[in-house]
Amino acid sequence: MENNTENIENEFFLSQWIEGNLTETELKKIVSEEDFLAYKKLKKGLDIYSHLEKPLDTSFKEIQNRIHTKTKVRILNTKWIASIAAMLIFFIGFYALLGNDSVLNKSNFGEQKNIVLLDGSEVILNAKSAISYSKKEWKNKRKIYLSGEAFFKVKKGSKFTVKTKNGDITVLGTQFNVKATADYFEVICYEGKVQVTDKTKKYILQPTEAYRKINGNKYEDLNYIQKTPTWILGESTYRSVPLKYVITDLEKQFKIQIEAKNIDENAMYTGSFNHKNVTLAFKSVFEAMNLNYKTITPNTFVLDK
Amino acid sequence: MNLDLKNICKPKIFEKVFKTHAKDLKRFLYFKFNDLETAEDVMQDAFVKLWKNCGDVSLEKVKSYLFTIGNNMFLNIKKHEQVVRKNKFRHTKNSTNESPEFLLIEKEYLEKIEKAIANLSEKQREVFLLSRIEKKKYKEIAAMLNISVKAVEKRMHNALLKMRKVM
Repeated sequence: MENNTENIENEFFLSQWIEGNLTETELKKIVSEEDFLAYKKLKKGLDIYSHLEKPLDTSFKEIQNRIHTKTKVRILNTKWIASIAAMLIFFIGFYALLGNDSVLNKSNFGEQKNIVLLDGSEVILNAKSAISYSKKEWKNKRKIYLSGEAFFKVKKGSKFTVKTKNGDITVLGTQFNVKATADYFEVICYEGKVQVTDKTKKYILQPTEAYRKINGNKYEDLNYIQKTPTWILGESTYRSVPLKYVITDLEKQFKIQIEAKNIDENAMYTGSFNHKNVTLAFKSVFEAMNLNYKTITPNTFVLDK
Repeated sequence: MNLDLKNICKPKIFEKVFKTHAKDLKRFLYFKFNDLETAEDVMQDAFVKLWKNCGDVSLEKVKSYLFTIGNNMFLNIKKHEQVVRKNKFRHTKNSTNESPEFLLIEKEYLEKIEKAIANLSEKQREVFLLSRIEKKKYKEIAAMLNISVKAVEKRMHNALLKMRKVM
């Protein structure tokens, strides 16, 4: 009697095994080694097959979610709030004030833009930066608003002023680099004399001298011996800069998102990265800082120790 | 816009495009990555990208667009993984210890499965699909088809036996 029940139980053993009610060890006892391997592969194949054939309603809902949260995520990401909000408010405010004859020039992710102003002065914009100025006012006063980073080659003439969220720069005819983003402000003088006005304080810079103020800390005097900024030639260089600013620049150059919650964003980085290739850029920055990263999608990464 | 009927930026049309091509795209990606999760993820990415550029893609070219995006994403990820592996940046999953070579499911194997399913008897195929695709339990299938659970099990067992013979 017991044998019969056993036989009946085992008679349709494959139906039990495919449901997961029969273990591999138990199956091995019933069939040959060759059959066992074949069934094992078949099970996997059927698993894949069922995944590829199943209705994709949930997939479509996921896609709809992604489409709608894509814009939300950008805005909710606290790292972007500071820079985008600040840049936009600064920008839209002044652009609106300037009136109909104002010119707005902006660069995109990973883009460098060369602009010639009405007086022949040249501006080279780094990625995700913008300038604006009033054509009418220009005749009397050379005044230009900047958000982001730009290198200026100012033709000799009347006072030339660059206004940024973090402070103003005034020159008569000279070459200088300004980096003005959310809480990073740096002016480097390459030629001539540059006056930096930070709230009420004024600083005069001569060639190779730089004024830097990060995150509201005390200002720093630095010296740079290069003749022009390296970013113009496709390489971004940093001297003791908190990693979070390097990360933001990577995002702007390569149009990616980097999640850095798990690491110390204030660790100082000295070094550079090339704009040509994101993988090599990551190697230059993260390997030096002993950090690993995970690729979530081709455009989003998560940093880890 | 005169070509409203062919405008992918309309949600109904976009959904239709999805229903028409998603399965094939996912399958194509599965054989590239040999991983279901990544295939699903990249497939979704491709459609999100399509929506972003919906104004630039015509209905006639949409299939080729989707597959090109998918393939490019695959190439980017693989290129990236290669550099990463070379630089020992992180510990990547080695295919040999998680899925032995002989368990690798290639396109040809899957095609054999499909052929085998098509060659099952009506009764066997019915039970097989309800169980494997619809994920119904034998009890449920028995109730649906008005047969005994044993009968369901018998059909499933025989279906698998038959499939084993042709694989």
